Amino acid sequence: MNGPLVFLLLTNWTGGHSALHPMGPQAGHINDLWWLMFWVCAAVFVLVMVATGFAITRRSLPSGPPGPIPPASRRRMTGAVAGAIGVTVLILFALLIASVSTGRAIASLSSSKAPVIRLTGHQWWWEVEYQDPHPDRMVLTANEIHIPAGRPVLIQLSSNDVIHSFWVPNLHGKRDLIPGHDSEIWIQADKPGIYRGFCAEFCGYQHAHMGLLVIADPPDRFDAWYSAQLQSSVMPATPLQQRGRQLVEASPCAVCHSIQGTQAGGKLGPDLTHLASRRTLAAATLANNRGNLAGWILDPQTVKPGNHMPGNSLGSEDLQAILDYLESLK
Amino acid sequence: MSAEPIDAGPDVEESGTEDRRRLEWTWKYASGFWGWLCEVDHTRIGKRYVVTSLIFFALGGIEALMMRVQLARPENGFLGPDLYNEIFTTHGSTMMFLFAVPMMLGLGTYFVPLMVGTRNIAFPRLNSFSYFVYLIGGLFLYTAFFLNTGPDAGWFAYVPLSGPQFSPGKRVDVWAQMITFTEISSLAVAANLITTIFKQRAPGMSLNRIPMFVWAMLVTSFMVIFAMPAVMLSSLMLALDRLIDTHFFNPANGGDAILWQHLFWFFGHPEVYIIFIPATGIVSTLLPAFTRREVFGYMALVLSLVATGFIGFGLWVHHMFATGLPQLGASFFTAASIMIAIPSGAQIFCWIATLWGGRLRFQTPLLYVLGFIFTFLIGGLTGVMVAAVPLDLQVHDTFFVVAHFHYVLIGGAVFPLLGGLFYWFPKMTGRMLSEGWGKVSFWLVFLGFNLTFFPMHVLGLHGMPRRVYTYLPETGWGDLNLLSTIGSGVLALGVLIYVINMLSSLVTGAPAGNDPWESDTLEWATSSPPPPYNFLHLPTVSGRSPMWLWREDQPIVTGLRSDRREFLITGLMDAEPDHRQVSPGPTIWPFVLSLGVGLTFIVGIFTPWGLPIGAVPCAIALAAWFWPRGDQGHTVLKEKS
Amino acid sequence: MSPADVMTPRNALDVSGLPTTAFGSRDPLFWGVLSIMAIEGTMFALMAASYFYLRGGARMWPPPGTLHPGVGITTLNLAILIVSVIPMYLAAKAAGREDLPAIRLWLIVSTVLFVAFLVIRGVIFHRFTFRWDSHAYGSLVWTTMVLHTVHVVTGTCENLLFIALLTKGPVEDKHMDDLRLNSMYWYFVVACWIPFYCIFFLDPGLLGASIG
Ligand code: HEA
Ligand code: HEA
Ligand code: HEC
Ligand code: CUA
Ligand SMILES: [Cu+2]
Repeated sequence: MNGPLVFLLLTNWTGGHSALHPMGPQAGHINDLWWLMFWVCAAVFVLVMVATGFAITRRSLPSGPPGPIPPASRRRMTGAVAGAIGVTVLILFALLIASVSTGRAIASLSSSKAPVIRLTGHQWWWEVEYQDPHPDRMVLTANEIHIPAGRPVLIQLSSNDVIHSFWVPNLHGKRDLIPGHDSEIWIQADKPGIYRGFCAEFCGYQHAHMGLLVIADPPDRFDAWYSAQLQSSVMPATPLQQRGRQLVEASPCAVCHSIQGTQAGGKLGPDLTHLASRRTLAAATLANNRGNLAGWILDPQTVKPGNHMPGNSLGSEDLQAILDYLESLK
Repeated sequence: MSAEPIDAGPDVEESGTEDRRRLEWTWKYASGFWGWLCEVDHTRIGKRYVVTSLIFFALGGIEALMMRVQLARPENGFLGPDLYNEIFTTHGSTMMFLFAVPMMLGLGTYFVPLMVGTRNIAFPRLNSFSYFVYLIGGLFLYTAFFLNTGPDAGWFAYVPLSGPQFSPGKRVDVWAQMITFTEISSLAVAANLITTIFKQRAPGMSLNRIPMFVWAMLVTSFMVIFAMPAVMLSSLMLALDRLIDTHFFNPANGGDAILWQHLFWFFGHPEVYIIFIPATGIVSTLLPAFTRREVFGYMALVLSLVATGFIGFGLWVHHMFATGLPQLGASFFTAASIMIAIPSGAQIFCWIATLWGGRLRFQTPLLYVLGFIFTFLIGGLTGVMVAAVPLDLQVHDTFFVVAHFHYVLIGGAVFPLLGGLFYWFPKMTGRMLSEGWGKVSFWLVFLGFNLTFFPMHVLGLHGMPRRVYTYLPETGWGDLNLLSTIGSGVLALGVLIYVINMLSSLVTGAPAGNDPWESDTLEWATSSPPPPYNFLHLPTVSGRSPMWLWREDQPIVTGLRSDRREFLITGLMDAEPDHRQVSPGPTIWPFVLSLGVGLTFIVGIFTPWGLPIGAVPCAIALAAWFWPRGDQGHTVLKEKS
Repeated sequence: MSPADVMTPRNALDVSGLPTTAFGSRDPLFWGVLSIMAIEGTMFALMAASYFYLRGGARMWPPPGTLHPGVGITTLNLAILIVSVIPMYLAAKAAGREDLPAIRLWLIVSTVLFVAFLVIRGVIFHRFTFRWDSHAYGSLVWTTMVLHTVHVVTGTCENLLFIALLTKGPVEDKHMDDLRLNSMYWYFVVACWIPFYCIFFLDPGLLGASIG
């Protein structure tokens, strides 16, 4: 079995959210380091296996009683082994230097005018809050981070419960969100696009369904998005939506969810003020469409068993009203 | 050299029939079920360790297959999140704590006393105690597992997820106590092996003549002694946090979640070498037998082991790179992690040199050694990759790391182990395994293994986090996962054939004789399986390969009394005869003590009164265990009054 | 090789003349005890490391409201512990001479000191202004001290057992070595406490808030 070859075939197989498809400077540096290490290690592997192959196919030894290695071959072998160890030390030293300089390179990204985003991990969703000196210019959303393409962005990480880990393979390596240890990470996307992220640290039942999207917009689109998010929730435009809003305000939903401009002010679940502007539901688990939304509201425990939102028994009219309303929250 | 001088070796067949009869009587095994509880013979207990840990291996393997079935397709419904989490945690914990470590220590228990040429392990009763504590730990975990109380926070149980707030119920407590049981057991074995190796080597076996496997067990034992207290302490703290509301790991009250990670990995990293180093010892034992040459570079190999042992304590932080350490500190641990490749490389090079200089016999054990070189090399190289902080930030907690550690654990430890068991099976049972089926199982295991785990590297790079019970179809991970699952089936078939080969050879295998492989170490100087006293006359040693160097005039030890369990104590450095001692015989008290310990910790899950409640039977058992009975052949200074 | 050959001095290493007891590092048990000391020493060292780790991350250490249980009483207790080494040492010496009455005497003396130590330690526990569940500081101090106290209690029990044995018999020469190892282990138990005394009771943060 030829490891490296198979590897090459396989690594080009799937695209998407791969550490080997860097879309930002840090992922790019790491990608370079990866390929350096890959080729060096592949070479080491081939050399060692070739040596082993030679060793086991050598057929020139006379038979005789078992015992120590004859001094003549011992001397040759000592030389060879010592040489190999020497080469090993050199290679390792080179790899160490490559690793440290890559570390420097990825740490150098920063900017004083960068957007600052506070990312809080919850079991099993992400709270996203854009920081601003003016409290009324802060934006609160969930499971979706919009960033301006081509600019560094600072993400401040903290956790509300257990350890999570923020990882967007196309952009950068991961960084843990540890309760009691706030930390930060810089990211940058070179090109507009949608990059999938994952929670990488095991965090309980629904660790598997704790994804997020990083959406890199061209700067003007980002600004537009940001101003839209600053708005309070839209007013219901139809009687059905109006009814939906009343239902949400009066039902348990409001205990856990906030919708700005309404009486819903709960903090236990994702903010729903601009729910309809988001692409996914339940931490990048479902596409955000009417069917999925209905399924989620009625029975979140089937979609994500164990998650912290209880199921709801709603009459079909009530459900339609709530759906109409939530779908209007652009 | 023919087999003759070996037969006439330390265990001289025709000589001393009278002596033999008396030894037979003095050392005879305790019989019946009661006797099973009382037995203190190291081969008996070693065999128990091996068989028990194999059973746990099968259980862990079945769990692995269940995980593989679940992951074969996206959004598969075979296991739900709850069960999946329980199963991967139990799989990891079983494989590390109930299979790999006890298996290695069990082989040590069985073979170290034979290889150093003595009659029994240094503290036979402690040995019996170790086994029972281990057994209780394992049974406890699986009883809980089947009562739906199996641990589910991962094999390193990170707080706060494993803490009182986020893991109510008893699941994590089961994990913490299972750790305590297995670590007590391992620590006791380690102390036992160190003492045996230091004080009971055959006359003439100076430090530079100790067999490589024994060196490996010595280094391992030292690592156990300095690493395992960390996990005992951290699991104690966790248990206290959960039981009596201490705050070691609670940031709201001055505790710290990272403290857990430091303590756990301060143990956890050495742990992987505790598994790996005995495996290297096995490789260095197999090579001479199948290349018919002493292993090349004895000094280099010993130094590599010792260096690995030391450096192994300086790497733990490489499991924590993603927590966001200061750059400089992280680079230090990268450097240390990379440095450990040097002794590993040195060992690999010495083994290749041995192959080069030898006359090979391509029997199953040698195939496993070659398979080991191939797979461990891959695992080691990916280890060097993940040691680089930037790269690790990408692949940490993904299937890339899962691939790394199965390559080193299975390729680096289980392959040598399967080779070693194949090699030692005749010694332990008196029967040969079938060579043909051995080869078949090797190829299935080897191919199945690579098919299972190679694709995981790619999955990890493509973003698949570990410990996910399922994944979405649009991730594109389905095909490689399916491939991996198919591979695990092939691997399981290989293991199954290996097991069947063992079971059927117990009955139908060809009789082995004393030394079927013409090996070089002393366990082959006695019958298969060895008699309870191991050797009729303890051997003396004049070089590194005592069996190959055995000559007619090689002295044997005489003058040990055969009417009591006498054995020889020798000097630490040069193994010169020093004095004689009497080895204790069978007794029930170690078993009773293990029950007391079990009671302490199991009750301790529910109430802090576990300690005082358990202390009573423990104290009684200890007092009875140590109370002198005057059967040790000592001079009495004061009569009983 | 014939049976007769086995008996010829040329190829037999006759060990029948060797003694059946040996002291100190020649005895395997010494290595067993040393291993236990290494294990527990590591455990205590990690406990101290944890203490400093948490201390380094804390805003206030010890937490506000923590009072020193008394510089005098804690120091007195340390002194008793250190003094107890003397009779234990003398007991070991007496064991070397196989002087049974002297051993028993010194064991009794040291046991009295142990008990005094335990009583005072109880008072110290009582004086603590915090519990194990008050905060991480409390958890650490309590756990370490309880662990150490368990060692002292075990040592006391062992001494009592030896005293009983010396009184009742049968006493064998082998016990002399056990007694010496018992003393060796005790030195270890004492040595373990000294750093913790310094860490816990000489902590500048705590000395500032002394109650006695
Ligand atoms: C038998 C067990 C074993 C062994 C031997 C190793 C060996 C090594 N391991 Fe591995 N490791 C594990 C078991 C093991 N590991 C486990 C179980 C985990 C995961 C735990 C968990 O998270 O659940 C882990 C995780 C792990 C991590 C953390 C990854 C992460 O979670 O993000 C790291 C990071 O540095 C690492 C590094 C290494 C290194 C550098 C070696 C080195 O010792 C390898 C050295 C060997 C070689 C390099 C090959 C031979 C050398 C030559 C032929 C010389 C020529 C080579 C060169 C020039 C490069 N290991
Ligand atoms: C020595 C250690 C060891 C060994 C040998 C194995 C062996 C295997 N492991 Fe394991 N594994 C770990 C240690 C080990 N593992 C650890 C530490 C983890 C991390 C856990 C965590 O994250 O907390 C892990 C995690 C882990 C995962 C990741 C889970 C996840 O993150 O979601 C996977 C997934 O495929 C896996 C698969 C396998 C497979 C297929 C095998 C196969 O090699 C198994 C082969 C064996 C068999 C198939 C048994 C065959 C037996 C029979 C056929 C029955 C015979 C019957 C009788 C004798 C009665 N393992
Ligand atoms: C007990 C608290 C609770 C109640 C009551 C509750 N939710 Fe939720 N909700 C949550 C949590 C927690 C999540 C995040 C779940 C996850 O992704 O793991 C969530 C997620 C959602 C989402 C997906 C948001 C996103 O961006 O992914 C929607 C939509 C939603 N809830 C709507 C509702 C509606 C409508 C109701 C009332 C009928 C309701 N919730 C009641 C806690 C609650
Ligand atoms: Cu959050 Cu995994
Ligand atoms: Cu490690």
